[in-house]
Amino acid sequence: MNNLFFPALLTGIFCYLGAIESPWLFGMSGGFYIVGRPLVAGLLVGLAFGDIKNGILCGLAVQAVFIANLSTGGATNSEITYAAYGGIGLAMATTKNPAIAVTLAILIGQTFGLIFYNGRMALYSFWNTRAENAAHNNDDRGIILNHLVYPQITTFLLRAVPVFLAIYFGKGLVNWLINSIPKIVTHIIQVLGGVLPALGIAMLMSIVIKNKSHFIFFFAGFVLLAFAKLSMIAIVFISALVAYLYYMSTSKNSATSATSINNSEDVIDTDDKYEDEDLF
Amino acid sequence: MTIKENTNETQKLLSKRDLNQIWYRWGFTHLSSMSYEKLQGHAWAYSYLPFARKYYSNDPDKKRRLLERHSMFYNTEPQTGQIINGIVASLEEQIALGNDVSEEMPINIKATLMGPLAGIGDSIIQGIIVPILLSIAMSLAKGGSPVGPLFYIIAYGIIGPTISYIAFHSGYKLGVGALDTIVGENSKRITDAFNILGVMVVGALAANTIVLNTTAKIPLGGKSQALQTVLDGIFPNLLPLAMVILGWWLVSSKQMTATKVIIIMVIIVTVGCLVGFF
Repeated sequence: MNNLFFPALLTGIFCYLGAIESPWLFGMSGGFYIVGRPLVAGLLVGLAFGDIKNGILCGLAVQAVFIANLSTGGATNSEITYAAYGGIGLAMATTKNPAIAVTLAILIGQTFGLIFYNGRMALYSFWNTRAENAAHNNDDRGIILNHLVYPQITTFLLRAVPVFLAIYFGKGLVNWLINSIPKIVTHIIQVLGGVLPALGIAMLMSIVIKNKSHFIFFFAGFVLLAFAKLSMIAIVFISALVAYLYYMSTSKNSATSATSINNSEDVIDTDDKYEDEDLF
Repeated sequence: MTIKENTNETQKLLSKRDLNQIWYRWGFTHLSSMSYEKLQGHAWAYSYLPFARKYYSNDPDKKRRLLERHSMFYNTEPQTGQIINGIVASLEEQIALGNDVSEEMPINIKATLMGPLAGIGDSIIQGIIVPILLSIAMSLAKGGSPVGPLFYIIAYGIIGPTISYIAFHSGYKLGVGALDTIVGENSKRITDAFNILGVMVVGALAANTIVLNTTAKIPLGGKSQALQTVLDGIFPNLLPLAMVILGWWLVSSKQMTATKVIIIMVIIVTVGCLVGFF
C-alpha cells in the first residue's frame, strides 16, 4: 500500500504527543493520561488510517491489558506509548485484528519500548547536567534550552521516527508472519488476547485491595456485572454509594472512640482552615 | 526614579497572573526533561524564571541561590503534587519579601512532601480515577463506537487540570498549614473510601473485559453438551474470574513481575488450546 506514509507518520507523531515527557497537552494530564491511553490511541490511529471503528476495537483490546499501567517513581515495566501506537499502528496496517494488536503491543512494549525508554532516560541526564550548570551560571536561556527544547527534540526523534519506520517497513514482515504461522498459533493468540487483560486487572487489584476484607467489594462489583448484568455506569454509582457509606461509618467510629485522642481535634482544626480563605 | 521603581517592586506580592505562571509552567513541563537522575527537578527552575525576573533582577546572587535550590531531584504525582508547588510559592514569596523564612524551608518542604503526595496521588489518580473513567469509556466503546474514547478525553481533560489548579491554589493559600490536611486523619478516611469505590469498579471491570470460553463438550444424558453453556447457567464468567484471581495471587502473594505472569498465562493458554479446552 503506497498511502501508508501519512498514517504511519501521524501515528509516530501521536506516539510522541502521548509520551510521559511530552509537555504540549498540559504535561502528563493531556499527554500520558489521555493521548497515551491505548483506548484514545485506538481512536487517533483509527483516524490516521481512516478506519475509526477497527482502530477503536484494537484500542479497546490493548487498553484492557494496560488498564493498570503505573509509572511510580518514573520506573515502568512496559512502555505504554510505544506499545499502544506501535501495536495498534502495525495491526491497523496489516490485519486490523484486535488480538494481533494486543500481541504486538506487548511484544513492542516489553522490548523495543523499554530499550528506547531507558535510552532516552540516559540521554536526558546529559541535558540535566547542562541545565544544572545553567542554573549555577544564572543563565535563563540555558535552563529553557536544556529543560525544554533539546530534550523534546531528542524524544521526538526517539519516538516519531522508530514508530514511523516500524509501521512503514514492518508491515511486510508482520503480514508474512501472520500468513505463515500455523492455524493453532493464530488460535492461541486469539485466546491470549482475551485472557491477558486479567494481568492488567490483577495488577490493579494488587494496588487497590489493601487487605483481604476488600475482596468482598471486588466480588460485589463482579457479581453486579456478571449476574445482574448492570451497566458500568450504574455500577460506578452504586460503588460511590457504598464508598460514601464506608466513609460515614469510619467517621462515626472515630467520633465515638476518639474524644480522648488528639486526632479528632486535628480534624476539626483542618476543616476550619479549609473554610478560612484569609488565613494567609 | 529607578530606585523608587525597584523598592515598589520588591514590596509587591505575587499577582494572580504570577501564580498562574508558576502553576502552568510547572504543569506543562514537569517531566519534559525527566531522567532517573533528576526527574521533575528542572521544571522548578524553569517555572521560577519569571519570579526571579520580578524579585531578583538586581540581585544575581539571590537569583542563583533560587535557581540552584530548585534544580534538585524532585518527583511526585504531578497533578495532586501541585499542592507542594503552591506551598513553596507562598514560601518563596515570603523569602523574596525579606520576611523571616529560611532558604532551607522550601527545600525541606519539597523533600518531605513529595513522597507522601506521590503515594496519595498515584493511588487515587492512577489506581482509581483513571481506571474508573476508562472502564466507563471501554463499555461505551463496545463495538467500535467513538463515544467511548471521546468520553474519556473530555472527562479526564477536565478532571486532570482541575485537580492540578485547585491543588496549586489551595496549597498557596494554606501555606505550611496545609501539612496537617495532607497527611491528617480525615484525608486518610477519604482515601480509604475512594479505595472501596476503586475495588468495586475493578471487580466489574474484571467481569467486563476478560474473555475466556471453553470449547470442551461434556456428555449429558447420551448426547454431548457444550461445557460453556453449563458453566454460564451456574456461574457466568467463572473462567475469567479464575484467571484474574490466579493473576492477582501471582502478583501480590508471589510478588511476580508482569513478564513472568504473562509467560505463565501464555503456557496455560497454549496447553489449554493444544488439548482442545479453549
